[in-house]
Amino acid sequence: MIERLPLVALTLRGLLDRKRTWLMLALAAVPVLLVGLAAGAGHRVVEAHNFNLLIVTTVLPLIALVFGTAALGSELEEGTVVYLLTKPVRRSRIVVAKVSVAAGLTAALIFASSLATGLAASLSGNDLVRAGTAFGVASALGGVAYVALFLALSAFTTRALAIGLAYVMLWEGVLGGLLEGTRMLSVRQATLALGREWAGLGPSREGLSYEQGLVILALFIVVAVSLATWRLSRYQLRGGD
Amino acid sequence: MTVNGGSRIILDHVSRWYGNVVAVNDISFEVAPGITGLLGPNGAGKSTLLHMIAGLLQPSAGVVEVDGAPTWRRPQVYRQVGLVPERESVYPYLTGREFVALNASLHGLPLREAAISRALERVELAPAADRRVGTYSKGMRQRIKLAGALVHDPPVLVLDEPFNGMDPRQRLQMFELLRTMANEGRTVLLSSHILEEVERLADSVLVVYAGRLAAAGDFRSIRRLMTDRPHVFSVRSSDDRRLGALLLAEDPVFGVELDASGLRVRTSDFGAFTRLLPMVLQSSGIRLLELRPTDDSLESVFAYLVGR
Repeated sequence: MIERLPLVALTLRGLLDRKRTWLMLALAAVPVLLVGLAAGAGHRVVEAHNFNLLIVTTVLPLIALVFGTAALGSELEEGTVVYLLTKPVRRSRIVVAKVSVAAGLTAALIFASSLATGLAASLSGNDLVRAGTAFGVASALGGVAYVALFLALSAFTTRALAIGLAYVMLWEGVLGGLLEGTRMLSVRQATLALGREWAGLGPSREGLSYEQGLVILALFIVVAVSLATWRLSRYQLRGGD
Repeated sequence: MTVNGGSRIILDHVSRWYGNVVAVNDISFEVAPGITGLLGPNGAGKSTLLHMIAGLLQPSAGVVEVDGAPTWRRPQVYRQVGLVPERESVYPYLTGREFVALNASLHGLPLREAAISRALERVELAPAADRRVGTYSKGMRQRIKLAGALVHDPPVLVLDEPFNGMDPRQRLQMFELLRTMANEGRTVLLSSHILEEVERLADSVLVVYAGRLAAAGDFRSIRRLMTDRPHVFSVRSSDDRRLGALLLAEDPVFGVELDASGLRVRTSDFGAFTRLLPMVLQSSGIRLLELRPTDDSLESVFAYLVGR
């Protein structure tokens, strides 16, 4: 595979060849286990709108943050990016390959987690398979936007993990609840708008519309990939003497 | 195997600074086919120069060109250039063969398998090619980096401290390999802070110190400059005062200081002084207790060349 799709294979090996994969699998399993245990005990604790808290607000940004910052950030940190940059390869190709792999892994994990959570909830007789699928697909798309954003951050700073976490916790969490305008720059709100639409819940009163959600996610992806490409094409190797 | 071209690296009044710190100061030189050593102590600006040549660092002023084309923000230059970076990091989860295959694929080489096998054989890593790079020794990692850099058969090879971490046998193998590549017509530029490495390998030398080009040319003339510079010796004897007076009367000695620790003798001619001292000692009957060059570090040699 490394000869046919070198950048994809390299990124995949880099992301999967570490303990983080097991950590991410465990993280994705948390909502499934919680809901499954409650449903097994006969409690109908989950409704469709609870996928906001179970998946979109918690598990999705964390998985995207880890994969998104590691895909390019670890290469920049360890210095191995030199082997990619000293090749006659367009920088956009490097960024797109890395975003695709990290986003693909995030999307696969989060979709499986959401769907399994819906199935687990159904054990108590409350059919949430449709909600699980809807929020799973929306989260997969949101995952692409998050990964693109976090990967772009890692191209600009070595503190991408901390800044990404601050974006999720402070911007989307705290400010998103207080200031309506910040929702236009929130991957979480855009993902929720899509999930609610596909789950048949309709838009929430304060939230974004379905169309707004689609446009915002697309903008996040395009702008973040462009910024990361711009940065990588001007990347300068410092250090040494 | 011969390489087409006879590629040249040209630096024209190149400077690089970081804020107020000047890492490279108005350097111009040309590197022709063959092996050129970039010599200087740690912190002299060698890596900064190599990074600019490899298109990984923008010059603050001046022009860096390979075969007449600037290297900065021009990925096409990597068809001509192979870089072996100083940092040891190589993807630890790839095997040696996969690492070379990655390089070959990113270059879009046709007949990739043959190129990969050839590169692995050249660095004598074919038997270990299917082991993960994470299990390699330092020397093996240097060699797999070289295999990755030459898999596309570039006419220009840039190597940053390539002998770091290698044992003597591996060094000799690497010397041999680099000589072969130079004989094929390649332009090989390598950096080192070890004089003997460059002396044994390079046809010509560029000496950098404190960001400036201290000397450039063939190794013998630079070696002569280094040897002929003023030297200071610390001498202790059975009669320092008398020995000082006798030495000061001789031509190669132009200064003598006497203090509690003994004599400090300044000479303009290293060779003449080493012949003179035994004769003076023998004729005067003074016994020599200690003779020590006080400024023989490479650092002082470079400082002298810059100040010339």
